[in-house]
Amino acid sequence: MTPQAVPSSMHLLWLIPALPLAVAIVNLFVGKRLGKLAGVLASVAVACSFALSVMVVRDLLTMPAESRLYIRHLFDWIRVGGFNVGADLRLDQVSAVMIMVVTGVGMLIHIYAIGYMDGDPRYGRFFAYMNLFVFFMLILVLGENLLVLYLGWEGVGLCSYLLIGFWFDKTENAVAAKKAFITTRIGDTLMLVGLALIAQKFGTLDFTVIFGTAAGTLTKDAATVISLLLFAGAVGKSAQLPLHVWLPDAMAGPTPVSALIHAATMVTAGVYLVIRMHPLFEISGVALTVVLIVGLLTAIYAATCALGQDDIKRVLAYSTISQLGFMFMAVGMRAYAAAMFMLVAHAFYKALMFLGAGSVMHGTHDQTDMNRFGGLLKPMPITAITFMIGAAAQAGVPPLAGFFAKDAILEIADHSGRIGIYVLGSAGAFLSAAYIGRMVFLTFFGAPRSQDAAHAHESPAVMWFPLAVLAAGAATIGWLNLTPEGRLSEWLRPAAAVAVSGPGLSTGVLLAIAVAITAAALLLTWWIFGSGRVDRAAFLDRAEPLPRLFKNGWYIDQAYRTVLVRPSEVGAAITAQVVDAKIVDGAFNAIGAGTKRLAQAGRRIQTGYVRSYALAIALGAVALLLYVGVRP
Amino acid sequence: MPLDNVVFWVFAPISVASAIAMLVMRNAVHAALFLIVNFFCIAVMYLLLDAPFLFAVQIIVYAGAIMVLFLFVIMLLGVDRTEDLRERLAGQRIAAVVLGVGAALEITMAIRAGVGFARHAPVSFVGGSAQALAAKLFTTYFFPFEVTSILLIVAAIAAMVLAQRKARAVTLAEAAAGRPEAPAPAPAAAGAGAGPQVVP
Amino acid sequence: MRTPIAYFLVLSGILFSIGTAGVLLRKNALVIFMSVELQLNAVNLTLVAFSRMHGDLGGQVLAFFSMVVAAAEVVVGLAIIVSVYRRHHSVNVDEARELSG
Repeated sequence: MTPQAVPSSMHLLWLIPALPLAVAIVNLFVGKRLGKLAGVLASVAVACSFALSVMVVRDLLTMPAESRLYIRHLFDWIRVGGFNVGADLRLDQVSAVMIMVVTGVGMLIHIYAIGYMDGDPRYGRFFAYMNLFVFFMLILVLGENLLVLYLGWEGVGLCSYLLIGFWFDKTENAVAAKKAFITTRIGDTLMLVGLALIAQKFGTLDFTVIFGTAAGTLTKDAATVISLLLFAGAVGKSAQLPLHVWLPDAMAGPTPVSALIHAATMVTAGVYLVIRMHPLFEISGVALTVVLIVGLLTAIYAATCALGQDDIKRVLAYSTISQLGFMFMAVGMRAYAAAMFMLVAHAFYKALMFLGAGSVMHGTHDQTDMNRFGGLLKPMPITAITFMIGAAAQAGVPPLAGFFAKDAILEIADHSGRIGIYVLGSAGAFLSAAYIGRMVFLTFFGAPRSQDAAHAHESPAVMWFPLAVLAAGAATIGWLNLTPEGRLSEWLRPAAAVAVSGPGLSTGVLLAIAVAITAAALLLTWWIFGSGRVDRAAFLDRAEPLPRLFKNGWYIDQAYRTVLVRPSEVGAAITAQVVDAKIVDGAFNAIGAGTKRLAQAGRRIQTGYVRSYALAIALGAVALLLYVGVRP
Repeated sequence: MPLDNVVFWVFAPISVASAIAMLVMRNAVHAALFLIVNFFCIAVMYLLLDAPFLFAVQIIVYAGAIMVLFLFVIMLLGVDRTEDLRERLAGQRIAAVVLGVGAALEITMAIRAGVGFARHAPVSFVGGSAQALAAKLFTTYFFPFEVTSILLIVAAIAAMVLAQRKARAVTLAEAAAGRPEAPAPAPAAAGAGAGPQVVP
Repeated sequence: MRTPIAYFLVLSGILFSIGTAGVLLRKNALVIFMSVELQLNAVNLTLVAFSRMHGDLGGQVLAFFSMVVAAAEVVVGLAIIVSVYRRHHSVNVDEARELSG
């Protein structure tokens, strides 16, 4: 095979998003009649996409390392004047990793959902939306130009809205869906401005062209502005400060949705975007610093909030926000490989924990309040074990994946001389382990604290099988990148340079510190929450006002409500009740009323009295006579 | 003082006075009678204007036939009814007077501007004798003559149709009782037996 | 004939105006009708006067036909008044108000 020849299955690239789309359409129209088959069909579609992804990536591996790039032009999409946008797909190292994650984890979650959503009246529609989401996500990561990416971007936003509000009979679910959509919309709009600027400066939205000519075309300031605008979109989609408020509320959706969209895939789109556009970010150094700071602040903020939540899904939501913050920290330090590694690992263990939480909910009659759990290890062993594997991975217990990922980021921070970042990041790691520990100990250990917990039962096989697979993945995926110069970094190097390695504490010392932090956090939380030796209520009382502050997300949501939402609601109410009802309707009604009054006035001529009519005739005749007599 | 002048200045005021009298009389019969006086005066005017035939026809047709018809109908519909003097329509009286006076003034102005008030030299005039009129009527105006005869027939038939009482089926009860009941109730203001019963 | 024709015309105009006022002022349908007849007569007088002025007998013929038509009109009009009376039992023209808007 010559280096230029395209390997055999690469031309099937377009099938990877096409299959879920096709099945989504099928399920949309005949899903009701298919019954349980709808779920199986959807899972098969994603599984086929996964298989194709594996084949395609394997073919990518056969290409030489420096030229692992495949672009496929499907059709001309927009041709206006000199501005052309094609429906183009791009497969390189970054998108290869993404499609594997999306289809792999997605496949397992679909299988899980077959059992989880059993009995729901809108079963078919659920899987249609899920497949539609997978389609859009794949489009997002496979796009060769920013417009295809944006299409996927908006599409996943739409599917997120549809799926969060899937049980729209309950108003709060619809409200949460609306909140998610509107909040991400703010970021999306800024991102669109960034796209427009790029189109203006480069005359095109193609990645190849942009990356090739970026250095020459953009000034530092222009690059900063564009990068920050794009980052705004990432902030919205990945729920970073200040646009993070939608993600905890998005837990109103079914658990598979939380697992797929809000843990493994959609929220990582922001990270993907920044990594993809890193040439622009690097031209402007400021943008990367902003990314770093935002990521750091978010990581710590969200970790504190996770510590204060009682709802198990909300803990996981804040946890996701925090972990994404770590990923952005990595990106901000130019450690793209480390960020990607964490993304992959996080996809596994977070999806695992969400599905596990779903299993716990399933077994305890849909309880989510951890205060009502306790002692679930015995009745739900598989769920408990797999969940704890995921938790351990996140907390940074070696040799699980999370340990290497987090450690890599902190190591890079230290080695690149950012000691402050290192310290704060370690604090964030401590908090991460703490809230994970709290969650695990409250849920699975101690005595049952409610009837539902006492009578809990394990979930069916179709639900714990994906848990097992994900647990295996979470446990072993560490081999991808044992060090910052590991396999994944090597794989990504042509596409995204690895961070510079410099002087600092040695790797061994850093590893030891990391292990110590994790151990300390877990022991502390075991002591407080799991061992039963500390009176939890008293402890929380003494810690006030922190628990309440954490639980309410530092009252940011309430602040937004007062400053932004209420004025909008008032404005909307004014528009609806005053402008529309009174002014616009009033104008129309006035026209109608005016016509009516005119008619009423005219009506008075028809008195019915013959003599009035005679008078009118006489008047007319006399007037006419006058005119005839008087005119010159 | 030429005779026609005298005649004119005697009968013109009488005609105007009788017209005004007709206007103000509350009793319809009185008004009709004053109108007859007016017609007589106009007939005299015709005579002054060399139209003897028309003088005769005016008296025979107008005063003799039309007004008699009027008097018959007045008699039918209540001789002693006097008209209600209250005026319900606002401004009607004033408007009527103003319009009447205005019309008169305008016509006078028109006449002054047109014909003029000067004396004309008498035109040789064949005269409105019966022969002269017949000569015109049965030659030049023959077609309108025939048409008006049809018109008169149609008018007579129309009057008969309009004034008919609607026939009504006799009910069983009526047949048993041997006489028709009260006439079919007319809509709106009619009450049974209200007003004098008119028998054609 | 020494009387200026204009005098006849003025007389006719006055009679016509009185007839107009009668139509507008009176409420009795029959009196209104009589006022209309007065108007017709006034016009006939005008016709005959002009006929005399121009020496054309056509005016008198027209006046004659006018009388014929007036007669026919009176016949039909009185029949209508009788019908209306049968409905409202009154000759007051103000009673016939059904066509009010």
